Amino acid sequence: MAAHIEKPSDPGWAWAAYEPDALRPWNLAQAGHLYRRAAFGAGWDQLQRALSDGPQRTLDNLLSPHADTEAFNLAHDDYEASAGSVDELRAWWLRRMIQTPHPLMEKMTLFWHSHFATDGAAVKGVRLMQQHVRLLRGQALGSFERLLEGISRDPAVLLWLGADANRKALPGENFARPLMETFTMGPGHGTEKDIQEASRAFTGWFVLRGELRFIPREHDGNIKRILGREGNFTSDDVVRIVLEQPATSERLVRKLYRWLICETEEPDAILIAPLVESFAKDYSVSRLVETMLRSNLFFSSSAYCRRIKCPVEFALGIVKGLEGMVSTTRLAHDLAGLGQNLYHPPTVKGWTGGRHWINSATMVGRYNLASALLQGSGPYADELSPPGVAQKHGRSTFESAARFLVGLFLQDDLDSNVYDTLLKTAQTADGAGNDDPAGLLRRFAHAVITLPEFHLA
Amino acid sequence: MSCTRRDFLKTTVGTSTLLSFAPAAPDFLIRAAVAAAPRRDERDTVLVMIQLSGGNDGLNAAVPYGDDEYGRNRPTLALPPKDVHKINSLVGFHPRMGAFMRLYKAGYLSIVQGVGSPNSDRSHDGAMRIWHTGDPDQPHRQTGWLGRAADSIWRANRAETSAVFVGPIAQPLGVNAENVIVPSIRSPRELMANRMPGDANGESLWKHAAELPRANQGNPLLDFLQRCTVRACADARRIEAATNAAQYPPFQLAGTLHTVAQLIRSDIGVRIFFTELGGGGIGGFDNHANQLGNHCALLHQLSESVAAFIDDLEREKLLDRVLVMTFSEFGRTVSENGRRGTDHGAAAPVFLAGGRLKGGLVGAHPSLTDLDGGALKFHTDFRRVYATVLDRWLGFESPVVLDRQFEPLDILNV
Repeated sequence: MAAHIEKPSDPGWAWAAYEPDALRPWNLAQAGHLYRRAAFGAGWDQLQRALSDGPQRTLDNLLSPHADTEAFNLAHDDYEASAGSVDELRAWWLRRMIQTPHPLMEKMTLFWHSHFATDGAAVKGVRLMQQHVRLLRGQALGSFERLLEGISRDPAVLLWLGADANRKALPGENFARPLMETFTMGPGHGTEKDIQEASRAFTGWFVLRGELRFIPREHDGNIKRILGREGNFTSDDVVRIVLEQPATSERLVRKLYRWLICETEEPDAILIAPLVESFAKDYSVSRLVETMLRSNLFFSSSAYCRRIKCPVEFALGIVKGLEGMVSTTRLAHDLAGLGQNLYHPPTVKGWTGGRHWINSATMVGRYNLASALLQGSGPYADELSPPGVAQKHGRSTFESAARFLVGLFLQDDLDSNVYDTLLKTAQTADGAGNDDPAGLLRRFAHAVITLPEFHLA
Repeated sequence: MSCTRRDFLKTTVGTSTLLSFAPAAPDFLIRAAVAAAPRRDERDTVLVMIQLSGGNDGLNAAVPYGDDEYGRNRPTLALPPKDVHKINSLVGFHPRMGAFMRLYKAGYLSIVQGVGSPNSDRSHDGAMRIWHTGDPDQPHRQTGWLGRAADSIWRANRAETSAVFVGPIAQPLGVNAENVIVPSIRSPRELMANRMPGDANGESLWKHAAELPRANQGNPLLDFLQRCTVRACADARRIEAATNAAQYPPFQLAGTLHTVAQLIRSDIGVRIFFTELGGGGIGGFDNHANQLGNHCALLHQLSESVAAFIDDLEREKLLDRVLVMTFSEFGRTVSENGRRGTDHGAAAPVFLAGGRLKGGLVGAHPSLTDLDGGALKFHTDFRRVYATVLDRWLGFESPVVLDRQFEPLDILNV
């Protein structure tokens, strides 16, 4: 990428919409980058379509697809309503991520799942967890203000945080503290006193048999002082007050920057200032996401491959590329083994991710998941077929199919030395002593998706 | 200058592409390397936790047979003094814990008596949470003490897996970390590379392709992933090469410890192993009725499994690096309850096993008459044992994990 004409520290340049030119052309690598961040990867046809549509039109489709997303999601809500366990919900969600006509919505739902991280094991209610993720999805690209209001009234969240009985005589900090330190401003922006006063505003709210209830006589209606404001505040007032803090907008912008753009470097305050200011006005998530995804910065070398795939992105990148559908019950279990147990984030702070996804055990785990997905038998059966997909797209010789797979999974962004080594090894060594071309191609695909490059998002 | 085993492995299998492409050679070399022993300077101690799920009756494990109150309170459960393996005139091991007695005599086993927690909770979940979080003051704390320990030693450029849970149940809160991923496994196979059918190159190609230099490579994440892939491949091979031929008794816990021994021998850098006994369904330590037979079988399993593990490590000259620690959410009531069982209690003994113990009984046996709700009172805060393990054994910083400094016990020869 042409780093010399990029001005990544200039906000004016960084957030202007990317327009390809001779020095920064729109190509397969950029299309793959966009589909990794704004979706869960892409099939060959999607990549080709993106190439001919150009970046902004591709983004139009990713931001508001023509398909009937609402009908799709309603149907899936019905499937989930029959789920008898949180494990089944996990499987349904992965299925939704794979099949949805609006992958960006699921990508952002996953973002919010890690932001308002709620553990289904502590909630002990399938319906409550279903409602919770539905709330996240409903505002995934909507309003952060609506979302935060919903979270403050969500039985699953209150149960998980141990904030399901907020008595006047015993105001607990179990909701107020994460609200101020984890969900909005971040630590260090309020005092212990602010948290205690905010806790009083939340008194009166209870979760009884899975239902949210307000018991007026348990509410402390006296004057509270919170973040410099004074009044007989209620829980809604607290949500409003934390949203008025500039720290809230900045923290959310930074978090989304890490999710969509780059996790290796914290952005300068000056760089994100225009986004922080704009987001604080109405907390429109879709506008913020759109600005980021359309930007010069997003399509620059500061963003390209500057994230490590979470386990969901790793696995679904394989599934989407190979245009298949696998057992998501099994996949949810295997992803848990790689450190991303959907519906069970490790703490209220969600998944830290980044380099933390990777250790020698999870690396071997990813290698083994790749084997299981591609081997054509076993728990994932024969749902994903690299030779079949190559054939479908007209690659009939081994060498053309191999080239196709590197285009599909890495958009040809692979050092030629590495490519040659993989190709030569695949052609010369066949342990079974036969020349079954389909088997060769499966092993070649496996070698590609276990390369260090494939773990980059 | 001493050449460490890790250095030796690095030079023989770590860097040579030629060797990495000859799948038969490295395994042979690793076996040879593993057999050549003497250890090194850098801290490589290992902690093996054994959770006894359900509330172990410490009084029938380290038995105060010499105290008349014991027999008086337990008309059907008291163990006959003549059958107890006597440590001194007051305390001895359960008759079926002969293997623990043998370890004790060899100086490989210590008993810390009267361990418990302030704000103790008599519910299984509440009490277990306290032992897992290491924090009796915050019942909603979401990380485990060993998860925080693993987070505390994480470094951005290394790929080690510092903690592993081995067992058939869901991962316990004790190893839940905010940042690092702690794998849960049932067998060592899960940490070995699973090749594609017909793949003759397997991990060799995986490693080789990761090692190849990339032109114009300026992405720190790619560099990190390259190194992690090489490391993961090397670790997977070491585990495969460290196959454990030692005989263990046919108990589930013994099978778990057999796996742990293989992973310790493979020398991949795991510092914390978490294992469990009793929680995989019915038959755990929670014996409210007809306790005698079931408890006896579990103690026998514990004693025989740990002894087989210790013997294996001793043969392999690894015992000086390993410390085993048992814990349970609580002890049980001093009196039996009329159904030949006991109810949820408080203080209990912690068993420690390994090659670097001072040995013996640590702390006095709690009084059988000065009770708290029918249960023994603790005199040693469980966090003092944790601090001992963290500071003196693992070489970590316990205040980072436990929020403040607890006074370690003087029980280790290190």
